[in-house]
Amino acid sequence: MLEIKNLHASIEDENRAILNGINLTVNPGEVHAIMGPNGSGKSTLSYILSGREGYDVTDGEVLYKGQDLLEMSPDERAAKGVFLAFQYPIEIPGVATMQFLKVALNSQRKARGEGELSTPDFMRLVKEKSAALNISQEMLKRPVNVGFSGGEKKRAEILQMAVLEPSLCILDETDSGLDIDALKLVAEGVNKLRSPDRAMIVITHYQRLLDYIVPDQVHVLSKGRIVKSGGKELALELERNGYAEYVGDAA
Amino acid sequence: MSLTLAPTAAETAYQGFALPHRRQEDWRWTDLRQLLDQAYPPTNGTKASAAEIDRLIATDALAPFARARLVFVDGAFDKARSKLPATGAITLEHLTHGAPPSSARGAYDDPLANLNDRFCRESLRLTVKAGTAEDAPIALVFVSTGHEAVTTCTRAQIIVEKGASATLLETHIGGAGAYVASSLIEASIGDDARLDRVKIAEDGQAAIHLASFHVKLGTQSSLNDFTLTQGAKATRQQTFATFTGQHSNIKVAGAYLLNGKQHADTKITVDHAVPHCTSRELFKCVMDDQARGIFQGKVVVRKDAQKTDGKQSSNALLLSETAEFDAKPELEIFADDVVCGHGATSGSLNDDYLFYLRARGIPEDEAKSLLIAAFASEAFDEVAHEAVREALGELTQGWLINRKPA
Repeated sequence: MLEIKNLHASIEDENRAILNGINLTVNPGEVHAIMGPNGSGKSTLSYILSGREGYDVTDGEVLYKGQDLLEMSPDERAAKGVFLAFQYPIEIPGVATMQFLKVALNSQRKARGEGELSTPDFMRLVKEKSAALNISQEMLKRPVNVGFSGGEKKRAEILQMAVLEPSLCILDETDSGLDIDALKLVAEGVNKLRSPDRAMIVITHYQRLLDYIVPDQVHVLSKGRIVKSGGKELALELERNGYAEYVGDAA
Repeated sequence: MSLTLAPTAAETAYQGFALPHRRQEDWRWTDLRQLLDQAYPPTNGTKASAAEIDRLIATDALAPFARARLVFVDGAFDKARSKLPATGAITLEHLTHGAPPSSARGAYDDPLANLNDRFCRESLRLTVKAGTAEDAPIALVFVSTGHEAVTTCTRAQIIVEKGASATLLETHIGGAGAYVASSLIEASIGDDARLDRVKIAEDGQAAIHLASFHVKLGTQSSLNDFTLTQGAKATRQQTFATFTGQHSNIKVAGAYLLNGKQHADTKITVDHAVPHCTSRELFKCVMDDQARGIFQGKVVVRKDAQKTDGKQSSNALLLSETAEFDAKPELEIFADDVVCGHGATSGSLNDDYLFYLRARGIPEDEAKSLLIAAFASEAFDEVAHEAVREALGELTQGWLINRKPA
């Protein structure tokens, strides 16, 4: 599904290296957790995978389903099944949530050569998916994320994911700002989407989320490099010992 | 010492009427001596063919929503093309003996009203009778054929009597030729009365649109006003609103959709002459190419107008490096227990919004269109008539479709 090979990247105009040779292979059906301290490059990785501007890839490559991902525009990536659940979902005044969802879904379908979904079919789909995430009709009537609480924003991201049914889900600190009930709800929504042909990258600081979304592999990111990989028990070890061991060579 | 300037061709055609120019503070961005680059002799009546007129009238986006429709063609009331209000709540008078200023006119020095006074030959007076609620909108359609480089002067007086309510739709449309359209609307809103007004300024691409709206409000009355400006080469439009009774409120909103070298200048003065009134101004201005938008909002709070609540904001969205926006908010406050504020912003499309939409699979052009439409639509969110509000959304979409590179 995803092959990241020796990925080096820096922030545009700053010449500051953020990623220093990441290697990661994610197969269909797998859930990979990426953990690491602040500033280790976790969010940068998620932005580079989803196509945000402002980064220079200085070396390496990223193959998605065998194609060069970095060559594609953000909307092309989305249409091909890449989805980023944002750490800080953006509020967009004036754009109605339902209109946004419908335009997004139909743009993706169009790009894939599928027919557009009719309004009744679309409404049915959203109703079904939103009920499971405890998202009210009232929330759906508001502009995209406007006036949503932190937890509502995260649930709205998972709703988008459920409606768009991507192949590769990247969850960037989806647990941040969630209380335990919201966390369970979000994790349940994510788990529902686990399937043999879908892969997930779960970026998080804390092990807590991984109690609910159990990963196949855990990677520790430090200074833009994966310094250790292991099974889910690695997350528990990190919870006990912290990241000190992996950032030890700091000056 | 005032300096007398040699009359321009346009001023000569106006029999020496002195046009406002940039050395006058209110006109610093819109110099009519320069804009009116040739003689536009005032005329009344058309030389265009019936087919041409009908073709232009057919472009009126608000046509489907009006019960009564009053059509002017090149300054003259066209009864045959109009649909008169059924007798009852509304009386209509057609005044052909010149058109004196109405009582809605404040003591403002308004050169556009003066110009209209001087050359307007006929006008309409609409009276919505006391206590009647007129749900179906009344439309005023001002067609300028642009057949000749002339000035057409139109005016209408709207009287909403005590306890009455009405919705006025006003469309300005025109042909491709150069012309000047001078428009004056004077409205009196009685006690406990309400007027909703939606104006679409869609004059032809070579036109100069000069419009003044004077309105007076009684006690516990309200005005909800919206203007979409997307036509004409140059537009200067003015609103002069005066509260004469307490506990009344005004909303004046507007959206600009400008491209090419279009120029639009809106000047709004709200006069809180009495206490306990609320005014809101919101302008959402979209400028592409080398277009230039200007918003001048002034709130005056008189000495006795305590508990005044007045806010104005203008937001500009610049879609190109060469587009421009100028805002001049003014507050003149002589009372001490008031809440007044203003805000003006100007910027380009938000990259974070754009990335968020694209990350969900929405192609760049479409994502931009969505954001532009969302930006502009905030100005007409409060248009009460749902179908009219939707029509405004469609006009915005139409503008966006034309904008997209082929």
